[in-house]
Amino acid sequence: METLGYLMDGFGVALQPHNLMFALLGAFLGTLIGALPGLGPANGVAILIPLAFSLGLAPETALIMLTSVYAGAMYGGRISSILLNIPGDEPAMMTCLDGYPMAQKGKASEALAISAVASFIGSLIATIGLILLAPLLANFALTFGPAEYFALFLLAFATLGGITGKNPMKTVVAASIGLMIATVGIDNTGVQRYTFGVLELFEGVDFIIAIVGLFAISELLFFIEERAGGGKEKMKVNKLSLSWKDIRDILPTSFRGGVLGFVAGVLPGAGASLGSFISYTLEKRVLGKKGYFGQGDPRGVAAPEAGNNAASSGALVPMLTLGVPGSGTTAVLLALLISLNITPGPLMFTQNADIVWGVIAALLIGNFLLLILNIPLVGIFVKLLSVPPMYLLPIVTMIAFVGIYSISNTIFDLYFMVAFGVGGYVLRKLEIPLVPVILGLLLGPEMEKNLRHAMDISDGDWMILWDSGLAIGLWVFAGLGLILPYIVGPLLRRGMKGATPTSGSPESD
Amino acid sequence: MTFNDRIFGVLMIVLAVAYGWAATQFPEPFGGAEAVGPDTFPKLLAIVLAISSLYLIVRPDPDNAWPWSRTGIELIIAVVVLIFYAMLLQPLGFIISTTLAVGTLCWRMGARPLNAYMTGAVSAVVVYFLFSFALDLALPLGLLSFLEMN
Repeated sequence: METLGYLMDGFGVALQPHNLMFALLGAFLGTLIGALPGLGPANGVAILIPLAFSLGLAPETALIMLTSVYAGAMYGGRISSILLNIPGDEPAMMTCLDGYPMAQKGKASEALAISAVASFIGSLIATIGLILLAPLLANFALTFGPAEYFALFLLAFATLGGITGKNPMKTVVAASIGLMIATVGIDNTGVQRYTFGVLELFEGVDFIIAIVGLFAISELLFFIEERAGGGKEKMKVNKLSLSWKDIRDILPTSFRGGVLGFVAGVLPGAGASLGSFISYTLEKRVLGKKGYFGQGDPRGVAAPEAGNNAASSGALVPMLTLGVPGSGTTAVLLALLISLNITPGPLMFTQNADIVWGVIAALLIGNFLLLILNIPLVGIFVKLLSVPPMYLLPIVTMIAFVGIYSISNTIFDLYFMVAFGVGGYVLRKLEIPLVPVILGLLLGPEMEKNLRHAMDISDGDWMILWDSGLAIGLWVFAGLGLILPYIVGPLLRRGMKGATPTSGSPESD
Repeated sequence: MTFNDRIFGVLMIVLAVAYGWAATQFPEPFGGAEAVGPDTFPKLLAIVLAISSLYLIVRPDPDNAWPWSRTGIELIIAVVVLIFYAMLLQPLGFIISTTLAVGTLCWRMGARPLNAYMTGAVSAVVVYFLFSFALDLALPLGLLSFLEMN
């Protein structure tokens, strides 16, 4: 019952008026970010990080706000899936399958309401799962030595592409590039590495600048290339007529989707997109002929929404307990933790208990806020959805500029951000994923530190890296993470492709 | 066509070699060499990048087309606008440079010029005041600094 005590303390933090206010702001912004095509959750959270700094927020407040943004983005993704048939973010892809047909039948607001309820149930299940599982995993992770951590980081990279990933070797290339960028600067023995005598590089590359450049600027360039500036036609939203029976009908579906999604979120290599896919396919199997999936079945809306929301809360488990994110957006949240000088990982649960539990409590509260925001106020988001990208993206880019400029007031950082943006565009063109680059930037210093520690312990014997059973297990899973996509990847991908159009949003969940 | 991955693979191998070679040139850290020096991790990375890039050369994916035509020019314009935006942010000040940058981007993305620059101006003013009053953060005023109060 120790957990309960911590959770109560957490509520104490999360219920402070200013924290509550920022949670609400975050939930609102998050829903908006999720809803707007062209502004994915990772991108949105990344742009808000520098702003959270310039606001001078306390660490727990900043984290609560951005976690709410994260949770909100998962709610928001469904809005454009249903109304535009374009997923607002990748995990919302499956919601298009039944959500858009429902809207075509003139049931757009029912689809929106049902998906909000399903999202709520999914998130709630996953948050409870997080509360139960995270402390256990954190305790277990305390037994990790440097060698295990090194292997764990490798596992994180290997599974980042997910088992649906196209070409795992490209993940390796991307991760190496990120790790290489992370080695720039003065290392902890005082040696300058790859600084070329440029003063601005002595402290290394600021990963916030890299993240914002890679996501925000490359997204702008992609939209320009696709000439998608005008936006797409939107479905009309009817007046809501939802009975309790409608909600009762989707409850079992949402519960199943929530549990499955949570598992998919926690496991490395699965993630929210797979979570929503599995929930949808399972529901189709379970209901069989009783459903009319693909033609606007409400359960076909509820299942993937419960699944992807649960998966995104589940993805916080490895990020918070091990310091190893499994997705783009959780990687960005990790960036926030590191820049707040909080060392993520098992120790965070003891050293920064108020922050961790404050955030978890904020997730619970945020869910209720989001449900309220998303049922009566959904009209506001629908209105904002009609802002065409040709106005939206330049403004988002400008906000990215302001955010980066406000960190250090130097122009050098802005040039750097643009350079990262162009680089990100080229990498995305080559289908080299950006998330491993970012994860490399974030984890590089820790990874090298753990390698050094392990070697110091063993006096230079490389065998220490696979000396314990746990380390071997991690290595094996890392290997599987790279090999499995070649075997099961094609099958799963074919299933997920389905009828949905893919959007140009960066791979992030 | 599979040129993209091959060319990128070759470039990355060049990078890996250069990066790995540079690692051998690091001075020995103060206090003598340890089992893992500052050069060990970079050398590992160079090897991993070289091997994975080699794979890209041997088994490349099909190409995505590059936008050589007018779209390519639009992209270059956008990047140039961003560079100028950064360059002019301090001399011209936030409001003017943002109006120009956001306006030009909106316009090039398909908005009518008047709407585009109006969007730029309005967003610039709103963000400026939001930052200076609500967030207490100074953005440069540049040419408009004569408007500065007190």
